[in-house]
Amino acid sequence: MSAKIKEAVRALLAGGKIKGFLGLKRENGHILPHLFTDPKELDQLSLGDWRRPGEARYPLNQILIQLAIEYPNDTFAVLVRGCDERGLRELFKWQQLREDRVILIGLGCPDELAKACECEKPFPDSLVDGPRGEKAGSQKVAHVNEMDLDTRFQFWKAEFDRCVKCLGCRNVCPMCFCKECTLEEANLIDTGEVPPANPTFHLARALHMVGRCIDCGLCEEACPADIPLRTLYKKVADIVSETFGYKTGFSTEEKSPLNMIEVK
Amino acid sequence: MAKKRMTVLQKLLDFSGIHPERLRARWVSSAEAAEFVREITEFVEDIKKIGPNPLRRRKAA
Repeated sequence: MSAKIKEAVRALLAGGKIKGFLGLKRENGHILPHLFTDPKELDQLSLGDWRRPGEARYPLNQILIQLAIEYPNDTFAVLVRGCDERGLRELFKWQQLREDRVILIGLGCPDELAKACECEKPFPDSLVDGPRGEKAGSQKVAHVNEMDLDTRFQFWKAEFDRCVKCLGCRNVCPMCFCKECTLEEANLIDTGEVPPANPTFHLARALHMVGRCIDCGLCEEACPADIPLRTLYKKVADIVSETFGYKTGFSTEEKSPLNMIEVK
Repeated sequence: MAKKRMTVLQKLLDFSGIHPERLRARWVSSAEAAEFVREITEFVEDIKKIGPNPLRRRKAA
């Protein structure tokens, strides 16, 4: 499946249009993020398929932000799935990356992955390779919605009580770009306590994900305590969509309802 | 902006099993004492109807 992607990247590199292509590479049995600058390296290109399709995923957009800081005048291409593309749109609007300095190399997700993610749109518009998959409905959120108030409380209490406050969910998040973080603000979240204030800690993060979370699911993958974070943030997306009619990452123009830069 | 945040947070609280009416935001000026009293009295009455806070119960246990 990677042939078309290799071809597209090779053309970009040969044309001198880009400084490099940020993708994944297979090396010594591992799949790692890599900045491809030489077409010869492309033999090692990986799409993250390991035991399952798309099993190895990294917050490439987060790395891209670092690259853009180091090389502000260069253009980079980046491997994007549907969620990554949504993320880039938001990052452009939040002015964390310049749209004219990023070239998207789109990869559509196979059905298996789209279903596991319960993805709203499992392919990017900048599709280079891979299928244009169907939207998969979310049963995880519906399952919690159906509980009564007290059962929901007990459910989340038990889940959040396993939190070891490793901050992995925040650190892996491609949309967490703040320099100062509420979660580390001792006046707001007590320190020296595990689990962290339940549910304040997780709800604070959830509220900050409004108009930012693009449902990539990396937080849930990173969580060592298997807290169903994705279910929580999927609900955030549902709330934003129902309340403001805003679908995070779907528009290149319209800004998030809680984007402070917006002046009305 | 604050109003938008409140709306989202209320719905989030509901999803987390905390009665959304436990959170309320009202805009009352310092010149509107009667309005303030009415809002707070109403809030206290509503909270009493909802009953004890599950989070508090947990701390006592």
